[in-house]
Amino acid sequence: MSRMRARLASSGAAVVLAVTAASGAAVADTTTTPAAGQAVITTDVAFLSNAARNGIVVIPLQPANPAFDPNAGLTVTLPVSGGAANIPAFYGDVQFGGGLLFLNLATGKSVTLKQFDFSVANGYFTAVPNGSTTPVPLLDPAGDNVINRTGLTQSLNSSSFQVDAEGANYLDAKLGTTYFTAGQQIGSLALSYTPAH
Amino acid sequence: MRKTAANLLAAAALATSIATVFAGTAVADPAGLPNAQDIVGVGSDTTQAVLNQLAADYNVTVTNPSAPHLYSWDAIPAGTITTKSGATPITRPNGSGAGITALNANTSATVDFARSSRAPQPTDPTTDDFVALAKDAVAWAAPSAGNAPANLTTQNLKDIYTCTVTNWTQINASLPNATIKPFLPQANSGTRSFFLTAIGGGTAVNPGTCVTSGVQENQGSDPALADVNALVPYSVAHYIGQVYFGKGSGADVQGPLTIRSVDGTAPVDTVNKTISSAFAATPYSRVVYNVFRDAEWTATDVHGTTLRAIFGRGGWICANGAADLKSFGFLPLSSFACGSVTHS
Repeated sequence: MSRMRARLASSGAAVVLAVTAASGAAVADTTTTPAAGQAVITTDVAFLSNAARNGIVVIPLQPANPAFDPNAGLTVTLPVSGGAANIPAFYGDVQFGGGLLFLNLATGKSVTLKQFDFSVANGYFTAVPNGSTTPVPLLDPAGDNVINRTGLTQSLNSSSFQVDAEGANYLDAKLGTTYFTAGQQIGSLALSYTPAH
Repeated sequence: MRKTAANLLAAAALATSIATVFAGTAVADPAGLPNAQDIVGVGSDTTQAVLNQLAADYNVTVTNPSAPHLYSWDAIPAGTITTKSGATPITRPNGSGAGITALNANTSATVDFARSSRAPQPTDPTTDDFVALAKDAVAWAAPSAGNAPANLTTQNLKDIYTCTVTNWTQINASLPNATIKPFLPQANSGTRSFFLTAIGGGTAVNPGTCVTSGVQENQGSDPALADVNALVPYSVAHYIGQVYFGKGSGADVQGPLTIRSVDGTAPVDTVNKTISSAFAATPYSRVVYNVFRDAEWTATDVHGTTLRAIFGRGGWICANGAADLKSFGFLPLSSFACGSVTHS
């Protein structure tokens, strides 16, 4: 029963996500060759189900691009917007467009996080909450990390993507929940990045 | 499961590790012939000493005598080595390139990993996994009483190593009117490979005919380098280990050389005895690795599990190796980076 409800909640979230995605407009910049790439976050179905049971919905904000597969879970693609990084050498930052809205359906509390930044040296994603200028460490690539470089394009695949301890505290405080925990498994990460050239 | 085992090892090993570092235990080639199941490495000169130390400290934590221990064979002296019981005798690999070649030419019956001070290159097999160990940097060194200035720019270094500039006065008119004598480590050196790429701005330069190749890297004791007009690339970590932590011995010392600045940035933080943060942020900063065969690194058997438990993310080195790495001049990597795998 609870599993069914979770699936329904996930499907509902997927509809919201699909609408959000469909209304997205393509942005073209042909003046230079800007930084390019994306971070694809694949969330586990288990994470989505548990979140839904706790009344929590995560909505990608444009130009983040969501997709949902009943087996693989929710996929959120954050496009690279800039940065200067050398991932194989573990330095620099990669910045991403779009954002995530965390919504607690039970309390109506929400928090919007934008300006996602991957600090390569520190190995975590930060994001800036609406109304703030202070980034919050939010998500950590964990598990086995595999890094590649093909031509100018660098990539990072992490078998596990987890909630950062600070991020868990922040989200719980803002949403009025005790759902998020340090090291909470949300899925996996596939990041590709081509520096501006 | 792997993480739990690593954590247990971490707790058990910490005190031993710290004690060994500060006792300054000298370690080199394995004292005896390693067993067939032991994990043995060959290759880079730059990381040979710190791997010896890490191996010694790791082995203290292995209480089961039949469990795999960790051993590392130095880059020199030249000759044939039998790395472990039942192994095929091989020519001792001298340098990262030679180590990687030996890894790919043999099985785990002879070589389990290659030490590498260079990143993967397009010519490396895609089945080689470069597992991040620590941060280093490469600068250049010259005799303290010599004619070289305190600083050279990247362009200066490129000009010198392509023989476009051959006299110190072409760098600065106030310098002595004398012929520059640039040296490079031998061809299999990862430090050589990295340095030539760094001074080329990301594309390796071809050394000119004025360059003498073949000196053993990071050994300022070589009489040829005592020439007042000599300069040579040098691992900053290795230099710090030699000068500030007494890690050099025999020929593996800095000799009359002092390490110099590049583009106005000093490579050593002499107060904290470490690679300067400013230099670590330049293109002269590098990651050093241990290289494994992918099929073995990802295997779920005892061998693969052991490799990852020692070298992988959250493994013994990442959890316990910081004190060893620092005492040999290296910068430990973040928990995200240490043990991460990079492919060519």
